[in-house]
Amino acid sequence: MAALTTAAAEEAQEREPGARAPWVAAALGCALLIALTASVCLGSTDVPLGDVWSSVARGISGGEPVPGTQDLIVWRLRVPRALLAAVVGAGLGLVGTAVQALVRNPLADPYLLGISSGASLGAVAAIVLGAGAGGLLGLGLSAAAFAGALASFALVWAMARRGGGFSPLRLVLAGVGIGQFLSGFTHYLVLQAGDDQQTHGVLFWLMGSLGGAQWSTLGVPAAAVALGLAALLARARGLDAVLMGDETAAGLGVDVTRLRRELFVVTSVLTGVLVSVSGAIGFVGLMVPHVCRMVVGGAHRVLLPVAALFGAVLLVVVDLVARTALPDQELPVGVVTALVGAPTLLYLLDRRLLERG
Amino acid sequence: MGGMKIAIEDLEVSLSGRTVVSGVHLVAEEGEIAGLVGPNGSGKSTVLRTVYRYLRPHAGRVLVGGTDITSLTAAESARRVAALPQERGSDFELSVRAVVAMGRTPYKRAFAGEDRADAEIVAAALAGVGLAGAEKRRFSALSGGERQRVLLARALAQDPQVLVLDEPTNHLDVLHQVELLALLRAQRRTTLLSLHDLNAAASLCDRLHVLHEGALVASGPPREVLTPELLAGVFGVRAAVVDHPLTGDPLIAFDHRTPAAGAPRAVAEGATATA
Repeated sequence: MAALTTAAAEEAQEREPGARAPWVAAALGCALLIALTASVCLGSTDVPLGDVWSSVARGISGGEPVPGTQDLIVWRLRVPRALLAAVVGAGLGLVGTAVQALVRNPLADPYLLGISSGASLGAVAAIVLGAGAGGLLGLGLSAAAFAGALASFALVWAMARRGGGFSPLRLVLAGVGIGQFLSGFTHYLVLQAGDDQQTHGVLFWLMGSLGGAQWSTLGVPAAAVALGLAALLARARGLDAVLMGDETAAGLGVDVTRLRRELFVVTSVLTGVLVSVSGAIGFVGLMVPHVCRMVVGGAHRVLLPVAALFGAVLLVVVDLVARTALPDQELPVGVVTALVGAPTLLYLLDRRLLERG
Repeated sequence: MGGMKIAIEDLEVSLSGRTVVSGVHLVAEEGEIAGLVGPNGSGKSTVLRTVYRYLRPHAGRVLVGGTDITSLTAAESARRVAALPQERGSDFELSVRAVVAMGRTPYKRAFAGEDRADAEIVAAALAGVGLAGAEKRRFSALSGGERQRVLLARALAQDPQVLVLDEPTNHLDVLHQVELLALLRAQRRTTLLSLHDLNAAASLCDRLHVLHEGALVASGPPREVLTPELLAGVFGVRAAVVDHPLTGDPLIAFDHRTPAAGAPRAVAEGATATA
């Protein structure tokens, strides 16, 4: 009898969508390596694979780039940029997954809770008010954006905690309200922009870009994404439970209010870090969780790592497209995510609805 | 017979300053099925919510197995009490298996995966509700009856001493109601549930507790509690209580034409004047 149950349990486990996750993760890992390699090879000038490897090997061993070769482009520009795309994509996939559970709404995205509006305001203020103001505060662009993110986080927190609940509706209302409020300031500042170059810089920021990638700016977002993944995985069962409803979660021994508060902090800080290095790149955080749920199911223990991997692959590829689609011009990455991502998501959801009848 | 005794003592609950339930005393003995009945808004769900710790009592205590549940951690109390609230979940591509596996939550530390014992418990729980083999199906694509059985399996996977169910037969057709009640009966585990359908309650429950406007107005075996006088006074309906021709359970035959004399509800135009 016991043996029978074990066999049945094992068989059942094999058939379950979550059981595919190791294979999916392995495939995404390979895809990530290929995408990163392609992203480093291709661009305004294409670099042969062999040269890329030797440049990367030299860079890793700490050697100085050889002058007059493409070493410099590969090691100083393309590698950090490809890695930043992977880190930001992974982070957006994670935050999107967590925020959708936090507010129990599959249409939520990382920017719903107003954090990116604050970050954008900070960044735009730094650009428009100029190096003078930035220098005055001792802030770079990323730091200004992160300061803005923290400010909006504080405002949303103060609004959401009234009534003590951190209920999904309260969080969304506070996030949308504060977000709109801060966007008003941002738009005002854009109109005050001194010249075309400033306006261009602002627009690029608002639509998201990975152009600012450097080795020195990679550490903070990478650490934030790693810590965020750990913090969310530690709460994977709680995230599952709140999908069913707050009462169900309470009945399973989950302290729902505390969980929401913690999730709000984790997702806000991570969003703030991501937006401050890359601007608000749309659609990745909305699309990635959906696609991953369709493939590996909704249980967060497998969903979170898969969403991080898929987000990374997606953004590396999208950034490659953004750099190479037009001959002389780089597109903001957010434009490509929207142009490619929106139809993809609509197609997938439509097929899903048809299937359901 | 299994499970622990539930004892609710002098329970009072307030929601945003308004007292919703007060002075409620009730007991469900080990292995007993206790039913909460009463009109809409009488406080049934509120009482149940304090047992699965969604709400905190304002005054009074809830004892499970002799222990005040507020002295337990949330996980400890969830190992004793499994709940089936009226929530239906949302569409997040959860498989049936993932939903049932949630029942293991109170036994798991952060980062802990599922071990072989968990997998066996989950499989047994699904088999126990007649849904072995449905693991991979999407929870949101199930029929109402299947969904309730999956949620019951999730509660069983919690391996609780006590089951608490809020209107588990709501929105189910008659066959699925009968099947679900049979599953509950077969558990023989201490069960506290609310039911709208008084005939189902009379058939299933060892003991009934009648709530009216937040207070307990009667407790006892169904046959003693469900009198025409109580049905008129609490529910505002005229009814005869007879023996069920097939099962011998008390059968309440409602008069669907006439409210009881002095019924609190407005009488529709053209209805027989009663006041």
